[in-house]
Amino acid sequence: MLIADDRAVLTQVTGGDGSSRIKKFTFDKSVLGLLPFLLFLGYFLLYPIAAIVSASLHNNEHHLTLSLYGNLFSGNYRDAFIGSFKLAFYSMIVAGIAGALICWAVVKTSGVIRTITSSAAGVLANTGGVPLAFMFIAAFGQEGLITKFLLKVFHWDLYAGSFDLYNFWGILLVYCFFQIPLMVIIFTPALENLKIEWVEANESLGGSKLQYFRHVLIPVLLPSYLSACLLLFASAFSAFATAAAMSNGTIPLVPLLIGNLVNGNVIPSEANQGDALAMGMVLVSLVVIAAYLGLLRVTRKR
Amino acid sequence: MKRRFTWFDRAIIAVTAFFFLAPLFAAAEYSARGYGDKGHTFSNYTWIVHQLGFSPALLTSLRIALVSVFLVMILMVPTVVYIHLGGRKYRRLVEILCLLPIVIPVVSLAIGAQVAMPKGLQSTSYELCCFYVVVAMPYVYRTLDIGLQSVSLSTLVEASQSLGANWLKTLTLVIIPAIRSSTMGALFITFALSLGEYTLAILLHFHTFPTWATNVSQENLYGSIAISVTTLGGAWVLLVLIAFTPRIKSLFARKERVI
Repeated sequence: MLIADDRAVLTQVTGGDGSSRIKKFTFDKSVLGLLPFLLFLGYFLLYPIAAIVSASLHNNEHHLTLSLYGNLFSGNYRDAFIGSFKLAFYSMIVAGIAGALICWAVVKTSGVIRTITSSAAGVLANTGGVPLAFMFIAAFGQEGLITKFLLKVFHWDLYAGSFDLYNFWGILLVYCFFQIPLMVIIFTPALENLKIEWVEANESLGGSKLQYFRHVLIPVLLPSYLSACLLLFASAFSAFATAAAMSNGTIPLVPLLIGNLVNGNVIPSEANQGDALAMGMVLVSLVVIAAYLGLLRVTRKR
Repeated sequence: MKRRFTWFDRAIIAVTAFFFLAPLFAAAEYSARGYGDKGHTFSNYTWIVHQLGFSPALLTSLRIALVSVFLVMILMVPTVVYIHLGGRKYRRLVEILCLLPIVIPVVSLAIGAQVAMPKGLQSTSYELCCFYVVVAMPYVYRTLDIGLQSVSLSTLVEASQSLGANWLKTLTLVIIPAIRSSTMGALFITFALSLGEYTLAILLHFHTFPTWATNVSQENLYGSIAISVTTLGGAWVLLVLIAFTPRIKSLFARKERVI
């Protein structure tokens, strides 16, 4: 079906320019090509979310109310939102910078090494939860191999300061383990599309490396870079498995609260409070996305 | 386009390698420790296999991962190609729709799924495949989109059709090979995501490999570190194998002829 539609659209695009005024009033068949995609996303994404939106607006007495959202601004719930935002933001900054630098080196590789690094990034970006937690306990825990190595060779006691694998900075370190590879995956294609001609053009016009960086690289890469950072923020903001395995409830994070509510470990005063929390997360991300779309428009106009 | 490695690149690679390999190495060393830290042994690895539910959990996860990859390929590749060819005006819509799975945290998706999905679907693990496709969608779309931007798609399609290929042939023999690295990237990320996904599986009460591993890990520290090493190493080896199979190698070769 899809294939037949594609053909129809192609002929329309190549041959039907003159009839654009009439087309306005007829059903646009070209949307049919998107139908499988739209149906799938509608049923498996929008429909479940609509169910949550409806639940989050109803209290125990099935009355329409906004009070469940009001609860998000106080006590535990507020702390959890602040904690999640902070973690997501810091890991976005760290992974955004480190990942971009790594991409810069990775695009210069090729062949077997390239295949290994790209598959490695794919695997590492999706590590999380208990396996990741145990790996870091083996490496950076109190008895960890690297902790001991640093102490023996460099006389640097990781645990002398405020560092602990189970506090904020520890979790940030663990998050970097999947955030940086994620950045590499998303951002490498953008760097790959850079053309060697641009370097040559810059050189033949007498431009310096700094000028190439400022006037070519940054304008070309900025939109993809920002969107990549946005993905990083969102990925950290909603990470559940790793947070559940690492924090033992010591750090307030929204996904953990929701998980507790779903599993019945905590009974809220309102049965639908979990739905409101979930919607709160969605709304925070929506604000970030809106800012990003605005930024993107600015960079595209230039 | 070949560029030279500078000392700066080398330094980056060295630091990166240390950060990522050190925990892996530490975990590998730990996992091979004998009882009471005496000597090195493989007993922790054999311990995994003898745990109840090992092979069913692993098989379930592999099946789910393969089905998800298949779904992503038949759903997303034609859609993204379609947008690049004829449906340019839908680009914005699809971009925004593909951002949604990121905006909507997996935890909330799980709650929604519990409420909204029919009981028939909730009782089979294929429910997870569908949601994994949704969760992987933003990454898949982005990777495919960037790949398609770098080739002149309409030229390829015209050439292919003037040589008498139909749409299916054009898609599988011309377009997919032309954006090989993107397609592979999309495939990798879906496969790895489906194998390792924990949140949806646990909240929807399915028994996949990650939930099984989390359960067993409470019994034996070294054993569970061995599981971590196996999961990571296994996924890695699998992906490298996929990347080097002859079929895909021929796609590698074809790319140079097409472009």
